[in-house]
Amino acid sequence: MKLNLYKDKNLREEKVDIHYTAMRPMIRQLIDTVRSERPSLSGRPADEDVDDGEEIILDTAEIYYLDHVDRKLFAYTKDGVFRIAGTLSDCEEMLWNYGFVRVSKSNLINIYKVKQLKPDVNMKVYASFDNGERICVNRSYNKSFREYLQKMRRMSL
Amino acid sequence: MTAENAKNEKRKDRIAKTKEYALELCCVYTFLSVTGAIINIIAGTETGNLNVLVMFATCAIGTFVLFLHKLFDRFSPLFMIVAQYLIACALIGLMLLLIHLFVDAISLRGLFEFYRSFTIPYIFLAGFYYYRVFSETRKQAELIREIQQLKSKDAGSETVM
Repeated sequence: MKLNLYKDKNLREEKVDIHYTAMRPMIRQLIDTVRSERPSLSGRPADEDVDDGEEIILDTAEIYYLDHVDRKLFAYTKDGVFRIAGTLSDCEEMLWNYGFVRVSKSNLINIYKVKQLKPDVNMKVYASFDNGERICVNRSYNKSFREYLQKMRRMSL
Repeated sequence: MTAENAKNEKRKDRIAKTKEYALELCCVYTFLSVTGAIINIIAGTETGNLNVLVMFATCAIGTFVLFLHKLFDRFSPLFMIVAQYLIACALIGLMLLLIHLFVDAISLRGLFEFYRSFTIPYIFLAGFYYYRVFSETRKQAELIREIQQLKSKDAGSETVM
């Protein structure tokens, strides 16, 4: 995608024109950004030693996966683990266009961050990430996972 | 949700599951009996009434065991396959015992033949499932790779004027 930036001091109102061939997730994300509707998650470090009481805004593109444990929601990034507010279902709905898909009762993964998808000898399928962690793709969610990938691919073309 | 509503929901769920099971059983039995009939025509053999009933009972057990897969969601598919096989073996053993006691005596050879004719297709189907898991995962991994590539292509170039 080509990005042209025009600087004009005499402009009365700043504007953004988007020329697109199809409404891809990337275009949807740009629209969300312009409308200031881009979803963001804020959280505090899960590690109490690092937590200074301040909320940190997390870029969704930097999140590997979300994990729901003991009624708490955690976001895993390269920089660490953050406890975030909200429910997994809300996040699933909000982050649909951003590559997040449900793979088990308690996990949403970011497909843009998946390094490898591979089954073990015992036939359990795992998604691996850059940080070395693995998340199991539950077979109950396999159908919806496959449908999501097919939809994302179609929309990305 | 009140306790009454929860109870109704549970009952509806149970009825829906029973209907689903009955439908699956009908499909499996029809498929096997038609296949059996075709084999009989080709081989020039005939099936007795007891054999038909045993085949129906075996279908009912097989379908029931396959229906238990939700119980093994937490475990690996390999464990599920083995556990389902063992449950099916136990239920078939019980069925054969009832036949042996109340209908007709079954010899050791007959017992072995029955288990063999049940185990061989089961191993084939398990192998097919094993292959499906691997091929499906490979396809999904390719899709992910493609989506990631399309996204990085979308990032493109930037010009400031």
